Amino acid sequence: MGVNRQSPNWVLLSLMLVSVVAWLFLDALNVAPNRIVPGTPYTSLEVMGGWPALLLGLPLLGVAVLAWQPSRKGLQCSLAVVVAVLMLLPLWLAAATVGFVDADAPQARVGIGSALWLLLFLLLLAVIELRTRLGVSRAKGWLLFMPMLASWWLALTLWLEPLALVREYRVRSDQFASAVYTHLMLVGAAVGVSLLLAAVLVLVMRRQPAVRRIGFAALNFLQTIPSLALFGLLLAPLAWLGSRIDWLGNMGVSGIGWAPAFLALLGYSLLPMVRNIFVALEEVDAGVIESARGMGMSRRQVFVQVRLPLALPVVLEGVRITTIQAIGLTAVAALIGAGGLGTFIFQGLGQAAMDMVLLGALPIIALALVADALIGALSERLRLGGAQ
Amino acid sequence: MIELFDVTKRFGDETAVNAISLRVAKGELCALVGTSGCGKSTTLRMINRLIEHDGGEIHLDGEPVRSFDEVTLRRRIGYVIQSTGLFPHWTVSRNIGLVPRLLKWPKERVRDRVEELMQLLGLPVAEFADKYPRQLSGGQAQRVGVARALAADPDILLMDEPFGALDPITRATLQDEMRALQARLHKTIVFVTHDMDEALALADRLVVMHQGRIVQQGSPIDLLHEPANPFVESLLGGLDRGLKEAALIQVGERMLPFGPRLLASERIPYGASLSQALSVMLWHRVDRLTVVDEEDIPIGELSLRRLLGAKAP
Repeated sequence: MGVNRQSPNWVLLSLMLVSVVAWLFLDALNVAPNRIVPGTPYTSLEVMGGWPALLLGLPLLGVAVLAWQPSRKGLQCSLAVVVAVLMLLPLWLAAATVGFVDADAPQARVGIGSALWLLLFLLLLAVIELRTRLGVSRAKGWLLFMPMLASWWLALTLWLEPLALVREYRVRSDQFASAVYTHLMLVGAAVGVSLLLAAVLVLVMRRQPAVRRIGFAALNFLQTIPSLALFGLLLAPLAWLGSRIDWLGNMGVSGIGWAPAFLALLGYSLLPMVRNIFVALEEVDAGVIESARGMGMSRRQVFVQVRLPLALPVVLEGVRITTIQAIGLTAVAALIGAGGLGTFIFQGLGQAAMDMVLLGALPIIALALVADALIGALSERLRLGGAQ
Repeated sequence: MIELFDVTKRFGDETAVNAISLRVAKGELCALVGTSGCGKSTTLRMINRLIEHDGGEIHLDGEPVRSFDEVTLRRRIGYVIQSTGLFPHWTVSRNIGLVPRLLKWPKERVRDRVEELMQLLGLPVAEFADKYPRQLSGGQAQRVGVARALAADPDILLMDEPFGALDPITRATLQDEMRALQARLHKTIVFVTHDMDEALALADRLVVMHQGRIVQQGSPIDLLHEPANPFVESLLGGLDRGLKEAALIQVGERMLPFGPRLLASERIPYGASLSQALSVMLWHRVDRLTVVDEEDIPIGELSLRRLLGAKAP
């Protein structure tokens, strides 16, 4: 082990300093006797005598010090510390909640303050930074989040009943389940149908240059219409169709609801899908295609055995982008009564109930992250061609 | 046997290949040489109909290529290109077995053939069979490319600058192997290159193309001795022509079998070329070399006079 002087890891250093300052001096909790009354904010130092907060904050200063002269060992220590703090955070929250709220006060609630949110966010960034620096593989990287998820699960099931978020959830757990279901169905249908449509469209485009020009122009134009405006534009024609054509009406097609939401999502999903599939197929090395033809493969064999498998990772990349985009857009679709997790966001905004907004927003973020990770991993596997 | 009669190809207004006629006899290696854009690659691709010709006729063994289904035609012709065109998502053995599988050979026969070819091209089966193209060096990848082209044992091989992307040392090695392979297999080969040394070293027949036309064709020695015009002459190396010719002649052809003479101070193997012998003479400032066989046993002598082709006094 030589004494080679490394330049400081500024990313980690600033993440840690900002985390500690935010954690100790911003509001960590907000305690209210019921849903209506604005609560009393507390900083973490005002909770449980302040020493547990210091206990969580000081190791982060240690990480900041290590980041000044980063060595591999130092980075490994830092990762351990950050993962441990992330794991202890829900337990701290649980202890604080139990301390603040009597078990016999069913309306009292604890809101999570900016300090806690910031700390969570910054520490997750720190984990990602450390994971990259240490070259931890994607699969192993996910294990780093397991202790944190486990302790959140434990805290939520045992102690965090008075958490405002949990209270909001308890009141509408059925509604929540159906919202998640609707959300997933809308995203799944939009992505699935757009994949099929895009595949057909691309096959036509590859043969007809005229269709290619018009198709891309139309899709580009579609993409520039703001989503709310598109919902508005679809309102009149769909309402008309639903009332005129019985079987469409019976299916639930009308100016509001799932039909316009689905069509708009489909429209927005088509461009990224078509563009990626098109580029993926065109991008395949010309030399490989030429030799495939030169060896005597038929057109069909070239396409199925060579072009398609080589294009698949890029196609999946398109599916990934489209899925994440659709998960976000579906939230807006709640405005026209399509349901989904966006419902909570807009109701919460209407009632100035931030915790209800979070009840919609957090699962949307989680869905997007999970979709990103799953499809990303699949595409990476295909790219390697199973050669590893 | 490949025959081209007045073959023409136009791309829009441009005539890429202009009424060329050419005959490549069975077992002959014909090199198409010329500057880039002279139509040599287009000519090659018209033979396996990757490009369709506009005028004239192309015959394989007396039958016009248009009389075959293009897929069937191409499976009968081996094809090697500069970028190898190996399928990156297939292993080496699967790549080599492509055409036999297209021809629906039984599995065992495909496997045996792939192993036979890997041995032929110096690719140990245990080491390379399950590798993917990106795990290979340039030279190894092009060996796989050649093996794939030979897989179904086609009579005809089309090679489009196969060694053009390799470093000089690997290229020279592969050229040597190519020559040895051709000496064994006697394929009818059309070989496109812009490297005149490569063409001189490999070709039985040299075809020089310029602006879509054949400027001159013949054996390498014929072309060296009587270039048809200044263009061919410059392509053949101008002032270096003598050395290029010397590179084609073996020491064994000019040496004087041993008489009662003193051994010269420097030695040269009898399989070396005259240009190498000249280089040794220049380097050591001598005018006499002892010619040795594979076991380094002296078998003759080469003097500068004999090297130059003069009769011994």
